[in-house]
Amino acid sequence: MGRRPELASLVAGLAIVALGAVLLLASTDVIELSFGVFAPVACAATGAILLARGLTRHE
Amino acid sequence: MTMDENTRNEPDEEREGPQAPPPEPEGPQAPGPEAPTEQLGRAPRKRRLVRSRSERVIGGVCGGLGRYFDVDPVIFRIAAVALALLGGTGVLLYLAALLLVPADDGTAAAAAPGEGRNRALVIAAVVLLLLVGWPFLLGGGLLAAGIFFPLAILVGAGVLVWWLVSGEGPSGDVGDVAKRAALGLGVLILCGLLAIAAAWAAAAGGDTVVAVIVIMAGVAVVAGAFLKPVRWLILPAVVIGLAAGTVSAAGFDLDGGVGERSYRPASTTDLRERYELGIGELVLDLRDTDLPSGDVPVEIDLGMGSARVLVPDDVCVATTAEVGMGEVRVLGHSNEGIDVDYEEAASAAGDVTRLVLDANVGIGELRVSDRPWDGFDEHGFDFGPRDRFDEPFGDEPEGNLACDNVGETSSG
Repeated sequence: MGRRPELASLVAGLAIVALGAVLLLASTDVIELSFGVFAPVACAATGAILLARGLTRHE
Repeated sequence: MTMDENTRNEPDEEREGPQAPPPEPEGPQAPGPEAPTEQLGRAPRKRRLVRSRSERVIGGVCGGLGRYFDVDPVIFRIAAVALALLGGTGVLLYLAALLLVPADDGTAAAAAPGEGRNRALVIAAVVLLLLVGWPFLLGGGLLAAGIFFPLAILVGAGVLVWWLVSGEGPSGDVGDVAKRAALGLGVLILCGLLAIAAAWAAAAGGDTVVAVIVIMAGVAVVAGAFLKPVRWLILPAVVIGLAAGTVSAAGFDLDGGVGERSYRPASTTDLRERYELGIGELVLDLRDTDLPSGDVPVEIDLGMGSARVLVPDDVCVATTAEVGMGEVRVLGHSNEGIDVDYEEAASAAGDVTRLVLDANVGIGELRVSDRPWDGFDEHGFDFGPRDRFDEPFGDEPEGNLACDNVGETSSG
C-alpha cells in the first residue's frame, strides 16, 4: 500500500507553495503586496514549517 | 567491582603512567592484589568541571559551576547576568565557558557532602569579585566587547543556525561546537547570498520567475514527503521566497540604476516629470530653477536609498508619497514606519508655484526641504561625508508656509 507521507516535509512544502502563490499573485498584480500583508504570511509559513518539524522530531 | 570500572574515570596519564596498576586477573573473584582494588573502589571519583545537562538553562555552564562548587547554580546565574549587564563581560565569559568547558558525559561526579568547598566562602568570593571588579569589568568589558562581541555573535549565530537546520544543539566538546558554528556560518552565508540573488532577480523584473521557482520547490518538497524527503530544499526555498516577498512588499525595482544621482535643473524645460533610481541617493535641487506659477508635477521613484528634494521657500509643496519601509519628511512634517502612505494636499494661490510631488520609495527615506542640510555644497554637489546627511534639518519651519491651506493625512 501507499507509504505514509512525512508530515514535516508535507507541511513545509505546502507552506512554500502558499508563499510562492502569494508572490505570483503579487507579481501579476492580482494582489498588492505590502509589508502588512506579507509579514503575517511569512510568519505563518515559517511558523508552520518549524512547528511541523518540531512536532515530528519528538514523535 | 573490577579494576577497570574503578579506574574508568581517572585521567589517562594516571592510568597509563608508570604507576599504573597491573591488569586485573580475569574473574570477579580472582585472588591477587585485591586490597588496592578495594581502596580504589572506595576512593571518590575525581570531580571535573563540566556543563551540566540536568541543570541547564542555556548551555549548562552555571549548572556545572554550581555542581562543581556545590553551590546553588542560581548564584552563578545571577552573577552571569550582572556581569552581562556590566559591559557584556558575562556574555563573553559565558561563551568562553560554553566553548572550553566540556559537556557532561555522565562521568563527572558531584561534590560529596562535606567534601565540597565552603559554600559560604564561594558565595562571598563571587559577591566580592563583583563588588571589587565591576568597574574594571565595565571598562574591560566594553573594550573586549568591541573586539570580541562581533566574533561571539558570529559564533552564536552559527551555532543557532546549525541547531535550527540540523537539530544538533550546542553540546559536546569545543571541537564539536566550533564545527557546528562553522557549518552554521556556512549555511548563513549561503542563505545570505541566495537571498541577495533572489532579491536582485525580483527587483530586476524577474519576480514572476522567482515566484514560479518557489512554487516548484514547494511542489518538490510535497512530492518528496510521499516519495523520498528532500528536506535540504526547504531552507533555500523559504529564503528565496522571503527575499522576493520583501522586495515585492517594499515595491522597489532596479529601474534607473544604482548609485548617486544629482539634478539641478535651470528651468522647467530641464525639469523632468519623472526621476528614477534603483538603489542609491537621489537629490533634486530646485532652488535655482525658474519655476512657473501653478502646478509643477514631479514624480520620484526610488527603490532603496534616500531621495532628497530641495525647493525654494516660496514654493508650495503638495506631496503624495508611499514608502514601503522608512521615513517621509516634508518641510518639518514627518512620518515613518512600515507601509507609510503620506499625503499632504496643499493648495496655493494662483500666482504661487505649487510643486506636486508624487514619490514612491521602497526602502529608505524621502526628504523635502527648503534649505540645504549640513554638508550640502552650494556650488556643486560635493555633499561631504555621508553621515552628515543624517543630521537633522536644523531650524526648519514647521509646515509649508507658501501654501494657503494644508490638509495633511498620513498613515504608516
